[in-house]
Amino acid sequence: MGLRPILSSLLRNRAGALLVAIQLALTLAIVVNAVYVTEQRITKIGRPSGLDDQNQFALSVTGFEKNFDFFAMVRGDMAMLRDMPGIIDATPINQIPLSGGGSSTIFYSLPDKKGESSPVAYYGTDEHAVNTLGVKLAGGRNFGATDVDYRPKDVQGFPGTAVVTRAFAEALFPKQKDQLVGKAFYDDQGKPVVIAGVLEQMHGAWVGWDKLDRVMLTPVVGPGPGIRYLVRTEPGKLDTVMAATEVALRKRDPNRVVGKLRTLKNFKQSSYSGDSLMAVTLSVVTGLVLIFSSLGIFGLATFNVNTRTRQIGTRRAVGARKRDIVSYFMAENWMITTLGVVAGCAMALGVGFWLSSQFGLPRLDLYYLVGGVAGLWAIGQLAAWQPALRAAKVSPAMATRSV
Amino acid sequence: MFAYYLRLALSSFRRNPGLTALMVMAIALGISVCMVTLTSYRAAARIPIPDKNDTLFVPNVDSWDPAQSYDKDQADHAPDLQTYRDARGLYASTIPDRKLIMFKAGGVLSGGNHMAPEYVAARMTTADFFPMFETPFLYGGGWNAKADEGPEPVIVLSKDTNQKAFGGADSVGKTLLWHDREFRVVGVLNDWEPAPKFYDVSNGSFDEPEKIYVPFSWGQVMELGSDGNTNCWKTEDIKSYLDFLNSECIWFESWVELRTAAKVAAYTKFLDDYVIDQKSKGRFPRPLNNHLYNIEGWMARNGVVGQDNKAMLIMAFAFLAVCLVNTVGLLLAKFLNAAPIAGVRRALGASRRDIFWQHLTEAGVISVAGGLLGGLLGVAGIWALRAWYGRFVQELERSLPTDYGTFAIAVGISLAAGIIAGLYPAWRIGRAAPASYLKVQ
Repeated sequence: MGLRPILSSLLRNRAGALLVAIQLALTLAIVVNAVYVTEQRITKIGRPSGLDDQNQFALSVTGFEKNFDFFAMVRGDMAMLRDMPGIIDATPINQIPLSGGGSSTIFYSLPDKKGESSPVAYYGTDEHAVNTLGVKLAGGRNFGATDVDYRPKDVQGFPGTAVVTRAFAEALFPKQKDQLVGKAFYDDQGKPVVIAGVLEQMHGAWVGWDKLDRVMLTPVVGPGPGIRYLVRTEPGKLDTVMAATEVALRKRDPNRVVGKLRTLKNFKQSSYSGDSLMAVTLSVVTGLVLIFSSLGIFGLATFNVNTRTRQIGTRRAVGARKRDIVSYFMAENWMITTLGVVAGCAMALGVGFWLSSQFGLPRLDLYYLVGGVAGLWAIGQLAAWQPALRAAKVSPAMATRSV
Repeated sequence: MFAYYLRLALSSFRRNPGLTALMVMAIALGISVCMVTLTSYRAAARIPIPDKNDTLFVPNVDSWDPAQSYDKDQADHAPDLQTYRDARGLYASTIPDRKLIMFKAGGVLSGGNHMAPEYVAARMTTADFFPMFETPFLYGGGWNAKADEGPEPVIVLSKDTNQKAFGGADSVGKTLLWHDREFRVVGVLNDWEPAPKFYDVSNGSFDEPEKIYVPFSWGQVMELGSDGNTNCWKTEDIKSYLDFLNSECIWFESWVELRTAAKVAAYTKFLDDYVIDQKSKGRFPRPLNNHLYNIEGWMARNGVVGQDNKAMLIMAFAFLAVCLVNTVGLLLAKFLNAAPIAGVRRALGASRRDIFWQHLTEAGVISVAGGLLGGLLGVAGIWALRAWYGRFVQELERSLPTDYGTFAIAVGISLAAGIIAGLYPAWRIGRAAPASYLKVQ
C-alpha cells in the first residue's frame, strides 16, 4: 500500500494532523532541553565533595563576656568532643565547607605577584581538620599540632605551611604535577606558604563556583570571640551524637553562645537547592508533557477511527485485510509524528541555542536530540497502536449500515 | 441562551467523559506548573515599596582594580559595595532629601528579661534608614541624626528580638548588652520582612532581616568587621583597624532619596565630580563608571530574578502551550465528531453564530474547570515544594510565598487560554454546511 492515499486523506483533514504535529514539535523541544538541563543539574548535585558529608555536623560558638578566654574554650571543648563516644574527630574551623559562606584569596606561584595565579577558598583550622573533614591525603603530610598558630589578634597573612587540594596545587604548578609537595606559593605581599600535603579532592564554600575544588587548609585558629566546630561521627550515629553534643557543650560552659547544630548534609542540600528545584521542576514538566502528548495522540487517533468507521467498513468490504487497516493508521500516525519531529528538531535546537546564549546554560548536546526523536517516534506509534487495532475490528458490514 | 449553552455543554461532556476529563486535566496541569513557577518568579520580581521605586537610589562608583573589572562577565558593572572612605564621602553630600550608609555586623546580644545570650546579625546604619525604607514601628521610633554623630548608645529591635528579650512588651527606654556594651532601646519594629530584601541583596535576595539596628558610627568605635561580604583588590599593608577602614576594601552600602528630577541630575553630577576629585588624589584608577540605580534597576543589576527563574518560567509556559494545542486538537475532533448534532440544530434554525457561541461556551466551561483545578493543584504544588525544601532552605517562606494574586492570574490565563483554544474548533463547526450532516452518513 502506498503512502499517497494516506497523505491525500491527511491533507483533506489537515487541521487535526497539524495540531498533533505542532504538539509533538513543542514536546520535542521541551523534553530534549529539559532532560539535558536536568541531567546536568543531577550530575552537579551528585558529584562527590571529597568530605565525609553524610556523617558530619557543624555549629558556631561565640564568647561575649569581658575577660573571656577564647583559646581555653576551644581547647576545652575539643578535648571533650574528641573523647565523646560516637565521635571520630572534631576540629575548630573558621567556616563550614559547602555552606555558601567562606573566604577566598589569590596566590601566586612566584613572589611579587608573578607566575601562575589561582584563587582559593581557605579554612583556618587545626591538625585534626584532615581527619574530621574525612578528606584523603594524596601526598605529603598533614600539618602537626605545633604548626597551628593560635592567634590572639587579627593579623594578616598565612602561616608558612598548608594542606591544599590537588586542583589548587596543579593550577599553580601545571608543569610539576608529580612533585607538588614541598613547593612554595606566595601571597600578594610575597610571603611564602609551603605545601605540606596534597588532598586528593575537597569542595570549598560556593557550589556555584567553577573553582569549587580549589581549597587550602591553613593552620590558624583565632582570634575569636566566635568560631565554628566541625564534628565527624561514626556512620549512623549522627542524630544521637548531635543531641548529646549540644547538651554537653552547654553544660561544660554556660557562659558562651552555642549556635544551632546543623548537619553537613543539610548545608549541602541548602546550597544545591536551586539546582534541585530546577531539576525537579523540569522533570515534572518533562513527565507531564510526555503523558499529555501521548494521551493527545491517543485521543485524536481514537476519534479518527470513530469518525471513519464507515470508511473502514467499506475498505474491509472491498477486500482490505485487518493488517492493512492497522498499517494504514500506523502509517498515518507515523507521517504526522515525522512532521512534528522534524519541526521539533529545528525548534529544539533553536530553544537550546537560545537557552545557552540567554541563560548561560551549556549548549544542547546532539545525542539528546537523537534520543528525543527516537523516543517520540516510539511514543507516537505506541499511542496509535490501540486505536488502530480497534479500527481493524470494524466489521465489513459497517459499510452498509447507517450510523 | 447562555444557560441553554451550558446545558448543551454538560450533555456533550456526558457523551465523552474520558475526553472531557483529559482536556480539563491538560489545562489544569499546564496552569498549575505555570502557577508554581510564576509564584517564585513574581516573588523575586517584586518591589516591596513600589511607590518609592523612582525616588530611592543606589549610588554606584567604580573604585576597583585598573587591571580588571569587578565582574569579568559584566564589564560595565561597578562594584556592588563601597570603601569606607567613599561611603563617608558620598554621605557628605547635602543634595539628597534623605541618605544612609550601612553594613552588616554581628555579635552577641544579652541582657533583657527573658533572653539567653544569642549571636545576632545587626544592621549598622544611619538615622534615615527607617523613614527611607518605611519600616513599621510597634513601639517608639528610629534615632535622629544627632545620635549618629555621638554616636549615642541607642538600638532598634526587630519584633522577634523584642519578643525574646522583653516578652513582647514596650521596651523603649530599657537596655540591652551587645558586644558587652550597653544600648538603650529607642524603637521596636513591627513585622518587617521585605521580600526580596531589596535594601541589601549582597548576601542573598531572600535573606532574613537583621535582628537589631545600631548607629553606623558604632562600627568604627567598636572596630567591627563585616558579617556580609568584604572584597579587596589592592595590595596594602594593613596593620590596624584604621588601616583596614582606609583601605580599598569594599564592604559598605549607600542609598539616597532624590524626590525631583533636578535633584537626580544634581546628584549624578555630584557623583562625577566626586570621582574626578578622587582621581586627582590618585584613587579610582578605572575609567569613570558611575551608576545611579533605582530600586528596580538595582534588583536587575544584582540578578535578583535568577536565570533559573526565567528558564523555568519559560519552560512552564511552553508546557502550557503544549497542553493548549492538545486541547485545541481534542476539541476540534470532539466538535467534528458531534457535527451531525450541530447540523440538526442549524437545520432547525440556529444561526452560525449560535453554533459558534454554543461551542465556545463548551470550551469556556472546560477552561474554567481546568483553571480552578489547576489553581488548586498549583497551591498543592507550592505547599509540597515548601514541605520538601523548607527543611533546608530557611528563606523559602519569602521566596515562595502564598500568593493569591498568582492564583487569580492562573485562573485568568486558563480562561483566556481555553477560549483561545476553543475559537478555531467553534468557528470550524459553525462554518460547516448543515446539509452534509443531515444526509445519511
